Parts: sequence; structure tokens; C-alpha cells
Amino acid sequence: MAVRYQITLCDGPTCMHKRSKEIDAALERELASRGLSGKVDISLSGCLGMCAKGPIMIVNPGYTIYGGVSENDIPEIVEKHLVRKQPVSRLIIEEDHLYNRFFRVFGDVNFFGRQMRIALRNCGIIDPENLDDYLSVRGYEALAKVLSAMKPEDVIAEVKSSGLRGRGGAGFPTGLKWELTAREESEEKYVICNADEGDPGAFMDRSTIEGDPFSVLEGMIVGGYAVGAHKGIIYIRAEYPLAVKRLEKAIEASRNEGFLGTNILDSGFSFDIEIRLGAGAFVCGEETALIHSIEGHRGMPRPRPPYPSVQGLFDKPTLINNVETWANIPVIILDGAAWFSSIGTEKSKGTKVFAIAGKIKNTGLVEVPMGTTLRQIIFDIGGGIPNGKKFKAVQTGGPSGGCLPEAYLDTKIDYESLAQAGSIMGSGGMIVIDEDSCMVSIARFFLEFTQNESCGKCTPCREGTKRMLEILTRITEGKGAEGDIEKLERLGNMIKKASLCGLGQSAPNPVLSTIRHFRDEYEEHIKERKCRAHFCARLVRYEITDKCAGCAACRKVCPAGAISGIVKNRHEIDQAKCIKCGLCYKTCKFGAINKV
Amino acid sequence: MVSPLDIVKKKRAEAISRIIGKGYLAPKRVYVGMATCEIAAGSKDVMEVFEKAVRQGLAGVYLSQKGCAGRCNLEPTVEVVEEGRIPVKYGKVTAEMAQQIVERHLKKGETIKDWVIK
Ligand SMILES: Cc1cc2nc3c(=O)[nH]c(=O)nc-3n(C[C@H](O)[C@H](O)[C@H](O)COP(=O)(O)O)c2cc1C
Repeated sequence: MAVRYQITLCDGPTCMHKRSKEIDAALERELASRGLSGKVDISLSGCLGMCAKGPIMIVNPGYTIYGGVSENDIPEIVEKHLVRKQPVSRLIIEEDHLYNRFFRVFGDVNFFGRQMRIALRNCGIIDPENLDDYLSVRGYEALAKVLSAMKPEDVIAEVKSSGLRGRGGAGFPTGLKWELTAREESEEKYVICNADEGDPGAFMDRSTIEGDPFSVLEGMIVGGYAVGAHKGIIYIRAEYPLAVKRLEKAIEASRNEGFLGTNILDSGFSFDIEIRLGAGAFVCGEETALIHSIEGHRGMPRPRPPYPSVQGLFDKPTLINNVETWANIPVIILDGAAWFSSIGTEKSKGTKVFAIAGKIKNTGLVEVPMGTTLRQIIFDIGGGIPNGKKFKAVQTGGPSGGCLPEAYLDTKIDYESLAQAGSIMGSGGMIVIDEDSCMVSIARFFLEFTQNESCGKCTPCREGTKRMLEILTRITEGKGAEGDIEKLERLGNMIKKASLCGLGQSAPNPVLSTIRHFRDEYEEHIKERKCRAHFCARLVRYEITDKCAGCAACRKVCPAGAISGIVKNRHEIDQAKCIKCGLCYKTCKFGAINKV
Repeated sequence: MVSPLDIVKKKRAEAISRIIGKGYLAPKRVYVGMATCEIAAGSKDVMEVFEKAVRQGLAGVYLSQKGCAGRCNLEPTVEVVEEGRIPVKYGKVTAEMAQQIVERHLKKGETIKDWVIK
């Protein structure tokens, strides 16, 4: 057996239910009895989307997919396929889902194998600057199918029954939004792709566009056909120059090949797309502010209704969706709404892309079926917390979201359950926090961001976030007062209720969720002037211990002249003079200075 | 009447033959990550090494760029895909490592195990 085989067993809920654990055991037994233990790599994958034909087993190299596998089939598979190199034809299933290509290349790596890539299906696979590559993976086939055989109503019905919800944050049902735009009577309508991606630390949309700009274009053209629009606009921030360049190239190539422009593929339908650059303000991701920005006005939101579907860009009916939402559309058209809606939970269908960052071993882009737990993402895929540190919280939803503690790790990813737990799905930012981080400071960080980005149009957001930030700053500086927590809660709830747009309506979330789940840390800061993570500089005390060798290095670097001592004797810090800069701590070669 | 679907199928066939014309069926295909994140991690230098090797006559290799697969802290990444073998995925590739991949993997068929993403 010169080839080293790798076997993937589907560990998704349906295959598990159909006894794939027993298959796992049978496989181990069979390999052992043939002396092949350790000579074959076995890995578990997340849901492979072939539930109806499960349990699923994939043998690599060759990417042979076996379906309906039972324990009794194992000896035959091992004997024929692994030993004699002849796949067992009676068990092979042919699956032509769009995402398979990704799995073929990356599936054997745990980090990737446990994912399910629908929106990101071509990212890391095709050359994003070559339309031929996209065409070779069934690119523009969904558009052709729609133009050949589906009426606009059929397309809308398909998207509706897929259960797809907006990936830009709010999770509004996509099909319904399409229907609302389609039913407006108007000569002129617009389709917009929201590629503003303003959440700090988020890079899902950038990666999607840089890896496969064509899927987004194809989704938009299908959307234009469904709602009766002839013009599409991609609103993308100027800080994404490579994504912009790839979009420009993709638009031009698609236009040259007749996928964009007048009379697309001889169907009589015309649609074209142009790009508008945003200057990178968070609020310009909000749909009404975004529309104002495209119109040439200052990027400020306005009250809704009227919703953009009724009165949007230049007061015309406008369909606006997020990059990831658009990238899902070709899959729904080609693999079908029934297949798409078989993935996920009752109310959240399909997958969601997350950008995981922070205190986690494997940082990166993760696309998983809805219903995957936070624990599976952080530990099974993300590899857990580095340096033996303890998990403390996970922040989802960026500046509009919240922090969830360990007790919520088994929360399933879907719009409702995350909201119930006190956070939100958001657009896909996920920051893992370990024991060295201070929750008050994290809340302060996010609030500082939203405070800076508040456009100033409405008072609750403009003034309210400023007052909240002042209180938080005071607390982290050791000047918190009794009643501050209650004041934050009162202000926060008021801002949420009274603000004009989603920015203000969600800005207090990071603060409110950390108060809900980490109230004791707030209390420690206020009552004991203590930061247990030793993060808040003003609340840290530096002390020199017995380990001090008297080298005087700390005394020399101390800018405040707070350290005294005789060479070769233990030194001492005058707490009254100490400015808590931490230089002594960093300088000491003997580990003799403690933070308390 | 020719339907849009017929047109796309024809275009796909043409696209595939153009890709094949560029050498896609070579024994080894090499993909270099070239998204903003990969480039920031140094993938342009890596790409240059492969491009130079191909220019200087390295045979049997189809070279292409790709977007990021999403494994941030192991970028830049390079994949070597060969028929009948599990695609090899290298992480944190530098220009020097790329040179080694050319010499050892692409020329001699050796998978450099220490650099493979697990
Ligand atoms: C402050 C703020 C920022 C937003 N930023 C974005 C963004 O960067 N990208 C995005 O797609 N949606 C963003 N949204 C949501 C949009 O208003 C809108 O709901 C979304 O584009 C609709 O598309 P979807 O239904 O496909 O999610 C933001 C909303 C608010 C309130």
C-alpha cells in the first residue's frame, strides 16, 4: 500500500444519527485486524450536505464518495479500495454540489474539513482574475438557468423557499425583500451590493470578493432579473483596493462575454453593474446612509419606513443585499432551495461565514452550517486557546454585538439563539477572549468605536454614547462610583430605544452584554479598584519580590524615579510616585516584579 | 432557438479548453494565495520564485494565483495538486521555502512534510 489513504467520515448531525460513530469503530477494528492501523488517516468532517444519502464516507486520494455506508460495508471497502485499490462501485454516489471542489483540495485538513463552504465555495480554488476559471466551475450557469427557464416570480419563490436570510447583520428574509421590491411598479429600479464591511476585525466580504468576485456579480444579475431592475451598484470601501480591482476586472470580463450589458445571453434582459467607492465610515454600511452616500450626499441615515424596497436610491425601489447574501444565490438556483434549506436550523438556513480572531490558535475564515455550536467553532475548528490560557468569552457581531461567557459555548449559531443569549449573529466577526482580557475594557473598546463613528444626526446616539464612554473610561481608570453600572444600563436601554438607526440601536450591546454576563468584573473595578486581568493600567500595582537580584535595571528605566535601592540588594517601588507605565516589569530579567 | 443555458455550456467548454491550452493538465498544479492578506504576509515574493522557475524552463507545472482559503496565521499558502494524490498544502511559505519547493517537490517529487498544513 504505497498510497497513504485518508478517509473522511461525516460527523454532521444527520449522519451521526444514522450511526456513523459505529462505522468509525468498525473501520478502526478492520484496519487493526489487517495491520493497517496508523497507516490510514481518518478524520471527521462537519456536515457534507449529502444528508439524504448518509452516512457519508470519502476516500482520498481520488475523492471517492460512498453513501449509505453501514458497518457491514467496512470490510469490503478496506479490502477492495484500500488494499487492492479498486473502489467499491455499488456504494459510490455521484454528487455534484457546487461546494465539492473546495473540499477536494482542502478537506483532509481538520480546520477546513469541518467547514461547509457555500458562499466561499470558490475562494482559494479559482483564479479570481480569470473568468474562464469561474466558468469551469459552473459559473454563470445559475444565471443561464434563470434566463432560460424561470420567470421572475419563480426565482423569488425559489429564494423564499430556500429560507436564506440577509448576512449583513439583521437577518431579514431575502426572498421576502426581493418580493417587496419586485411588486413595486417602477420603470427604474436598482440593485445594490453592500460591501462596506465596517466591523472592526471583519474580513469575510473582502475575502469573498478577492477570492471569487464573479459569484457576487452573478447573484446580483439574478436579483436584478427577479425584481425588474437593470442597474446594479456595488458599494465598497476604498480601503479594499485589491477587491475593487478584481471586481472591475470581473465586471469587464463578464461584460465582454455577454453576461452583463444589453440583451444578456440573447435573453432580452439587460443589466449592468458599476462600482461606487465609500470612504470607510461605519455608518455608511447602514442601508439608508449608504444610499445617501451613493447619491452624493453626506452618509447619514434616515428613518424607515419607507424602506429602500419602496423608496431607495434616487427614490426608486431598491434591492440591497450583503456580499455574502449575493454569493449564496447561484447555489440556491443550481442546487435548489430544497437542498439549501436542508442545511441549518429551523429558522436559519444554510451556512454562515465567520472571521475568527483574537486569542485562538487557528485564526481564519470559517464557514459552517447554521446550528453549529460556538464550542465547535472555537475548539474543534479554531483549535482552542493558545498558551494554555483559559477561555473567557467570545464576542460576536462586532460593535453591534455582545460577549458570551463559557456557559453559553453550546449555543447554536442561528439568528434567534444568539439574540436570546444576549449577543447577535451580526455580519460574522468573532473574537475570542481569554483570561488575560478585561471585559470592561473590551466593552469600552467597542463603544469607543461606535462613539467615534456615530454620525451625530440623532441626539441619543451622539450624546448618549459619549456619556456612556465617559463612565466606562472612569471605571477603567479606577474612578468608578457606586451606581455607575445602573446608569450605564439605563442610558444603554434608552439609546437602544431612541436612536434613529441601527448604529445607535445596537451601540450599547457590548456594554449591556458584558454587564449581564460579567457584572462582577464591573463591580470589582468600581468597589475594589481591581482589574483581575491586570489589563487596566491604572488599577495595576507593581511590586518587587524576593527574586530581586539588585541589578538596578528597573531603577534606571523608571521615568518617575519611583524605584530606590542599593545595588545587589532588593529594590523597592514607591507606590505614591509610580505612574504604572510597566517599564520596570518589562525590563526585569529575573521575573522579580509582580503585577497585583 | 439557442437558450442562454446552451450559450453558457458552450462558453464553459471553450473556457475549459483555453485553460487546458494554458497547461492545466500538467502533472503538477501550483496555486499561490494572492489576496490582500496573503500579499501582506509576503506571497508576492513567493509567486515571483515560481514564476521565475517556470520562465527558466521548469516543466510539467501549471501555475496559478488564487484568493485566500482563510487560514490567516499560516499565510502565505501554496498548494501543489497532483492527480491521484491528496493535494499538498504548504503554510507560511517564504521565498526561500518556495525555492526549496521548486527544487525538492516540483522537480523531485518530495513532499516537504514539515511545512505541510495539518
Ligand atoms: C451601523 C450599521 C452598519 C452596517 N454595516 C453593514 C455592512 O458593512 N455590510 C452589510 O452588508 N450590511 C451592513 N449593515 C446592514 C444594512 O443596513 C442592511 O441591513 C444590509 O445591507 C441588508 O443586506 P442583507 O439583507 O443581505 O443582510 C449595517 C447596518 C448598520 C445599522
